[in-house]
Amino acid sequence: MLFKTQRIAYPYFVLALLLFSLQVVVGLWLAINYFATVPQSVVDVFPFSTARAIHTNLLVLWLLLGFMGATFYLIPEETGRELEWPKLAIAQLVLLAGTGVAAVIGFLFGWTQGRPLLEIPRPLDLLVVVGALMFLANVGVTILKARQWTVTQGSLLGGLTFLALLYLIGIPFYNNIAVDWYYWWWVIHLWVEGAWELIAAALTAFLLIKMTGVERSVVEKWLYVELGLFLFTGIAGTGHHYYWLGAPQYWIWVGGIFSALEPFPILLMVVDTYRHAREGSHSFRPRLLWVYLIGGVILHFMGAGLFGFAHTLPQINYYTHGSQVTVSHGHLAFFGAYVLLNLTFFYFAMPRLKGFPGAAFDERLGHWGFWSTSLGVLGMSLSFAVAGVLQAYLERVQGQDYMISQEPIRFWMFMAFLHGLVVVAGVVMIVWHLLTLKPTTGESQPITRPEEKIAVQAV
Amino acid sequence: MSEKTAKWIFWGGTGVSLLLFLVLTVDTHRQFSTLTHADKLSAQVVAGKRAFENRNCNDCHTILGFGAYFAPDLTRAYTRLGEMPIRRRLEKPEVAFVDSFRKMPHQSLSEQEINDIVSYLAWMSNIENNDWPPQHSEKRWKRSTERMLAAAALSPGAAVIEQEQCLACHNLGKNGGNQAIRLEWIAKRRDAMWIADFLTDPEQKAPGCGMPAYPHLSAAQRESVGQFIVALSSGAGR
Repeated sequence: MLFKTQRIAYPYFVLALLLFSLQVVVGLWLAINYFATVPQSVVDVFPFSTARAIHTNLLVLWLLLGFMGATFYLIPEETGRELEWPKLAIAQLVLLAGTGVAAVIGFLFGWTQGRPLLEIPRPLDLLVVVGALMFLANVGVTILKARQWTVTQGSLLGGLTFLALLYLIGIPFYNNIAVDWYYWWWVIHLWVEGAWELIAAALTAFLLIKMTGVERSVVEKWLYVELGLFLFTGIAGTGHHYYWLGAPQYWIWVGGIFSALEPFPILLMVVDTYRHAREGSHSFRPRLLWVYLIGGVILHFMGAGLFGFAHTLPQINYYTHGSQVTVSHGHLAFFGAYVLLNLTFFYFAMPRLKGFPGAAFDERLGHWGFWSTSLGVLGMSLSFAVAGVLQAYLERVQGQDYMISQEPIRFWMFMAFLHGLVVVAGVVMIVWHLLTLKPTTGESQPITRPEEKIAVQAV
Repeated sequence: MSEKTAKWIFWGGTGVSLLLFLVLTVDTHRQFSTLTHADKLSAQVVAGKRAFENRNCNDCHTILGFGAYFAPDLTRAYTRLGEMPIRRRLEKPEVAFVDSFRKMPHQSLSEQEINDIVSYLAWMSNIENNDWPPQHSEKRWKRSTERMLAAAALSPGAAVIEQEQCLACHNLGKNGGNQAIRLEWIAKRRDAMWIADFLTDPEQKAPGCGMPAYPHLSAAQRESVGQFIVALSSGAGR
């Protein structure tokens, strides 16, 4: 840590981790709903829909808080300048956390906008917008005043602005359900396959430069190519959500072709990360960080690239659309692409925020956490996939009643629940480990870090 | 690759995709009113959509395949269930789903809200969305009708099968011989016209099958045999 204002990242990370823990616990309850019979008296008070709204909104909230914290950590180091308004950043955290808590309590009492993933009621949406504006102003002004332009900053600021603008499209009430879904996907798809990818690519590039010591110009050149391919396939690829919502037929072609190309930029990201890791110096420790980073890009490719491609073609999607196949893809893709990236960044920043950069710490619990969560989510996604294929075959191909298709998948939802327990255990380990991170006593000599060379150059 | 090429890939790729996307968005808007029958999108339908969102229905059900996957898709609920069953489920889910292993929460909806939601679902069931979902596809309904017609023509086909003693070689239910394929299995892969055609000269379509030809049967007779066999198949119409 080279700048004082980087410390603002710390409370963001802590809150993100706590919300993450709550999110996965609510996930267990959702799985129980699928394989057990929850009695009417419970369903009337706490229905599946409420728990689902909490599960998904907590996910979005904690990932965004993680991204914001990461941005506050990254910006001073990238621009060589303290954050412009550190107190505003704290006010923003209080505002967003308050909004999140109000939303979750509101859901429990049936206060909702009622649109999946965008359930936050409209009055609270305004507070979210205020929070986003505070954030963009703070980061934007710092970048502009510093005039140390890098592609990483550009990608990050571009992604954050894009993210905030798209959120606005999700706020109004639309009379026509087809138009409603059309723009709903501008928020959901263009977030995860546009804006968030820009942010994720920027954070990955920053980490690679710090961790490998590979020259910035090389990393950033490939960042351009990755982003170009992400946006080329991702923007028109939104069409793969427009097959069956009452939009014209050409979306079947546009969506099918562009989304079939979507795995390629992710593959390039995997290759780039691997190449930079090999070319760069291997002195960077802890090893744990590599496990998270490499694990993340691989699961990103599996979850978003392969599991996504598996049901993106219209001929297949006709049968799998809106089934548990989607659930399977969603879980692995989010985990690989965004959860592990956030955790990588936390593991990178935490020792620095706690004042022992580069010193060794006991990594074991972090490794256990990685393998529990990763294998847990993988097993969970495979369980959902089996359930999804069964459902698609029984309901969509054979034309059986929906509830008949749900009977045999109960077993697989139970399997998903068991894997969920492993995930929860892993999350507890990671959160505990990160929050109690300490250097190993008596072994505090710093390890040679490539980041220092670059930091000196930058100043 | 030079940095300049990399920049070109970024701006070019983004620009092309964005342009295509925006142009198609404009065109999609021109077509939405026809495809969704927006002329029938009355104030009551909109009120139904609001009521539907108020109760967070979409976080269990899917509509047009979007939402949560915990309860049936409602795109064609109106065509599938009709008005009265929808009302019953909305009024008293605790009674309607008393035997189900998955429950629907009681919504305490007013009479007005129920009317609104029904008209919302009625409007939705007519959206032209490339015949999704497959289980409620129009093509599937039409195939069912064809099957019924084939079953109505059952007796002439059965009569021909009796007259020509097909069961000397073929199995049907517990009757018949073991030499040839079970009649119920044939229509898993073949349709009525194919079967009718096959009967004129089996050796031509399946050399060495050993089945005699039936050139003395009229085209109508052969077709009635085909329809009878199609009607027998448990998986017909898939």
